[in-house]
Amino acid sequence: VAHAGRTVGRLGEGDWDGKVSEIKKKIKSILPGTSCDLLPDTSHLPPEHSDVVIVGGGVLGLSVAYWLKKLESRRGGIRVLVVEQDYTYSQASTGLSVGGICQQFSLPENIQLSLFSASFLRNINEYLAVTSAPPLDLRFNPSGYLLLASEKDAAAMESNVKVQKQEGAKVCLMSPDQLRNKFPWINTEGVALASYGMENEGWFDPWCLLQGLRQKVESMGVFFCQGEVTRFVSSSQRMLTTDDEMVILKRIHEVHVKMDHSLEYQPVECAIVINAAGAWSAQIAALAGIGKGPPGTLQGTKLPVEPRKRYVYVWHCPQGPGLETPLVADTSGAYFRREGLGSNYLGGRSPTEEEEPDPANLEVDHDFFQEKVWPHLALRVPAFETLKVQTAWAGYYDYNTFDQNGVVGPHPLVVNMYFATGFSGHGLQQAPGVGRAVAEMILEGSFQTIDLSPFLFNRFYLGEKTQENNIM
Amino acid sequence: MLKMVFSTIMLLPMTWFSKNNMIWINLTTHGLIISLIPLLFFNQTNSNLINCSAHLSSDPLTTPLLMLTAWLLPLMIMASQYHLHNESPSRKKLYLSMMIFLQISLIMTFMATELILFYILFETTLIPTLIIITRWGIQAERLNAGTYFLFYTLTGSLPLLIMLLYIYNDLGSLNIMFLTLTAQKLTSTWSHNLLWLACMMAFMVKMPLYGLHLWLPKAHVEAPIAGSMVLAAVLLKLGGYGMMRLTPILDPLTEYMAYPFLMLSLWGMIMTSSICLRQTDLKSLIAYSSVSHMALVIVASLIQTPWSFTGAIILMIAHGLTSSMLFCLANSNYERTHSRIMMLSRGLQTLLPLMAFWWFMANLTNLALPPTINLMGELLVVTTSFSWSHITIMFTGLNMLITALYSLHMYITTQRGPLTHHITNIKPSFTRENMLMFMHLSPIILLSLNPSIIMGLTP
Repeated sequence: VAHAGRTVGRLGEGDWDGKVSEIKKKIKSILPGTSCDLLPDTSHLPPEHSDVVIVGGGVLGLSVAYWLKKLESRRGGIRVLVVEQDYTYSQASTGLSVGGICQQFSLPENIQLSLFSASFLRNINEYLAVTSAPPLDLRFNPSGYLLLASEKDAAAMESNVKVQKQEGAKVCLMSPDQLRNKFPWINTEGVALASYGMENEGWFDPWCLLQGLRQKVESMGVFFCQGEVTRFVSSSQRMLTTDDEMVILKRIHEVHVKMDHSLEYQPVECAIVINAAGAWSAQIAALAGIGKGPPGTLQGTKLPVEPRKRYVYVWHCPQGPGLETPLVADTSGAYFRREGLGSNYLGGRSPTEEEEPDPANLEVDHDFFQEKVWPHLALRVPAFETLKVQTAWAGYYDYNTFDQNGVVGPHPLVVNMYFATGFSGHGLQQAPGVGRAVAEMILEGSFQTIDLSPFLFNRFYLGEKTQENNIM
Repeated sequence: MLKMVFSTIMLLPMTWFSKNNMIWINLTTHGLIISLIPLLFFNQTNSNLINCSAHLSSDPLTTPLLMLTAWLLPLMIMASQYHLHNESPSRKKLYLSMMIFLQISLIMTFMATELILFYILFETTLIPTLIIITRWGIQAERLNAGTYFLFYTLTGSLPLLIMLLYIYNDLGSLNIMFLTLTAQKLTSTWSHNLLWLACMMAFMVKMPLYGLHLWLPKAHVEAPIAGSMVLAAVLLKLGGYGMMRLTPILDPLTEYMAYPFLMLSLWGMIMTSSICLRQTDLKSLIAYSSVSHMALVIVASLIQTPWSFTGAIILMIAHGLTSSMLFCLANSNYERTHSRIMMLSRGLQTLLPLMAFWWFMANLTNLALPPTINLMGELLVVTTSFSWSHITIMFTGLNMLITALYSLHMYITTQRGPLTHHITNIKPSFTRENMLMFMHLSPIILLSLNPSIIMGLTP
C-alpha cells in the first residue's frame, strides 16, 4: 500500500502528499487555539473608503477638514481622511513660516480673508476648543505691519490703502515725518509714504495653530494617515459642451496611499479629493492628469504652483528697535520683525527672479544675508549695522508663478478635485478663510461668505491674472 | 411545487455551465420564467392549502411572499451586474450560486408544511446571506456586520428549535394544518410563558423588533446590493411569516404576553423613524426605515385580528418592493459617486430626470401615499391597533408623519436643489437600471389596482 502512494505520484498526478499537508495546515489554522491570521492586519493602513480625501496635512488641509466637519449639517456626516507624507512636518511651509498676518493687500478678497482670519485667531479658543485639552495660546503679537513705499510706489500704496479701508481694515497712511515721530529708530531716506496697520495685524505662532487644528479635527472624527499619494484611479467620460466641443471629464474614484518605507499601499475609495499639498501641489495635480494635453488648451494647463525656497534669518541686536516695532517691509523688499523679548529679530528678503535659490533642499545660504539683506536693513534701521546673526532656516513658498495668488475651488476637467494651494507665502494667514470657502463650495455648491471666484483654476487657462502687488 | 423547486435548483448548473457572456442573460430570463409559477397559486377559492405535496404547499399567506421572492431573484441578478463585472468568471458564478441557493431555501421555507422543515430552511437562509455579506461586501466592517447578523439570528432561533421539538413531542405532528385543528389552549404557567417567548424570539429578532435591531443597519449597509435587496425584501418577512404561522398554537397567551413587544414596537417605530431624520448615509437611512415599517408588522401580528393579519401581509409585500427599490436607487447613486453620503450628491434631477422619477415614486410609496398598497397595509394596521387600544393612534400617527418627513427629506436632498460641481460627469442611467426600477414599481402599482390577491387568509 505504501508503494501505491508513490506509484500514483510517479504517474504525474501531482504532489499528493504536499496537497494533503497543505490542507492539514489550513485546518489547523482554523481550529481554535491557534492564532488565526487568515486576514492580514491592516490597522496601520488608512480606511478603505472615505468620502473626502485631503492630500496634505498642513494648515490649509487641516483648515479645510475643520470647516468640512463644522459646516456639515449632521454630525458624523462626512468621512474625511487627511493624508500627510511627513508627520514631523519637517519641510512643510506651515511650521517654517514667519507667522505674520496682515490685511494690507491690494485685492479685496485677500483683505477679507485676512480679516476673517484675524477674527478666527482672536476667538480661537471658541472655534478650536477641545474638552480634554488646555486652551490654546497663539502668542499673537498685535504689533501691526508697516509697509514702506518709495516715490514710484506711493500712488499704488495710496489706492491700496483706500481699498483696504473700504473692506474694513484699520490701516493708516503715514508721512516720513510721522514715521520718524512714531518710530525714532527708522531712517526715512527714500521713503515717500508708509502704511501702518493698527489692528488685527501682527504675528503668531504657526505651530500652535497647527496643533490646535490637529487636535480639534481629530476630536471631530477626521482620520489621519501618514503616507504618500502615489496614484489616482479615475474614470473619464467624453462629453459635449454647449458649444459642441468635445471635452473629456475625469472623476477620481480611488486614491492610492503608499505607506512610509514600504511598498504597501491602500486604495482609498473616495468621492472628492482636495489638493492642499502646498509646495508639492503640482506633483499631485500631475498625478491626476492635470496638464497632460497640448499646451494652450484647458487640458494642457498645468497647475502653476512650484516650491520656492525662502530664507529666514534670526539675529540679535541689543540697540535695535523697541517692543512696539511692527513687521517692517522695506522698499527694497527686505522685512524684519521682533522675535520675543530679548532683542532678537527675524527677517529676510524675497530674492529676485535671477537670484532664486534651488528648491531641491532646505539648505541656508548665509552669503545671501550678507550681500542682499543686511545692506538694506542697515540702511533702513541704522542700529542694525551691529547685528549678529544667530540662526537661520529656509522654508518653501508654494509659489504661484502665474499671479502669486492662491488657487481655490474645483478643476473644470477633473471634476472632483478641489484646490486649496498656491498662496505664495500668505497661505498661513488666509487658511481659516480659505478652508471655509472650500468647505462651502463642497457642501453648498458655491462660495457663501467670501467670494473667491477670482481664485478659481479657470484663470490660468483664460489668462486672467488676479495680481497681488503686496507680496513679501 | 416541484416545478418551482427543481427549476430553481437547476439554475445552479445553468450558472456554472453557461458561457461567460451568457450568464446574466440566462439567469435573468430563467428567473423571470420561474417567477411566473407562483401566479398559478393566486387563485384560491377557499382557505385550504393548495396541497401540492405532503411537504410543500401554498396558502393565501404564503403565496404573496412566494411571488415576492420569485420576482426578486431576477431583480437581484440585474442589480449585481455592475459591481461584479470586474471579477473573474468563477467568482461571479460563485456569487450567483449563493443567490440561487438562498432562493431555493427561501422558496422552500415559505412553502414548508411542516414546522421543522420550515425551521431548518429558516436557518439555511442564514448561510448564503452571511457569505454574500462577508465576502462581497464593501468595507472592512462587513465582518463585524456578518457576525452580528449571524449570532443575533442564531441566538434567537435556538430556543425556537427546542420548543418545536417539545411541541412535536406533545402534539405528535407539526404540520401547519394539523396545528390549527389540534392545538390546545395553553395555560398561563411559567413554562408556557417561556414556551411563548422561545417561539416568538426568533421572529422578533428577524423582523427586527426595536430592541434587537442592532444587526440590521450594519448588515444592510455593509452588504452588496443583492444582499441588501434580499435582506430587506424577503428575509425580514420570514419573521412576520413565522409569527403568523406560530400564533395559532400559542393562544391565548398572546393576549398578555404580547404587551412588552407591542410597546417596544410602538416606541421603536417612532425612535427609528426619528433616527432616519438624522442620517447622512443613504443606505443607513433606508435600513432604519425598514425597522420602522417592520415594527408596524409586528404590531399587526401580535394583535391577531383578521384585519391586522391582512394589513401585515399587504404591508410586508409593499415594504419588500419599496425597500428593495430604494436600495437599488441608493446603489445606483453609490456606483456613480463612490460615496453613500446624501449631501455629496445633490441636485440629481437636472442630470438624471428619469431616475429622479423613480426616486420620486419610491419615496412616495415609502411614505405610504394613497392609493398604493403601502397605504392599504398601514391603514389596516393603524385601524386595528386603534381598535385594540385608542392610545396607539398617537404612535402610529406620529410615525406616519415622521416617515413622510424623512422620505421627502431624502428625495429633496438627493434630487432637488443646485447641482454639486463634482458630479457633473457621472454616467447616465443605464437601461438595466431603469428596467430594474420599473420592475420594482409596476407590481406596486398593479397591486394597488387589485390588492385582494395579497390580502391573505381572509377574503
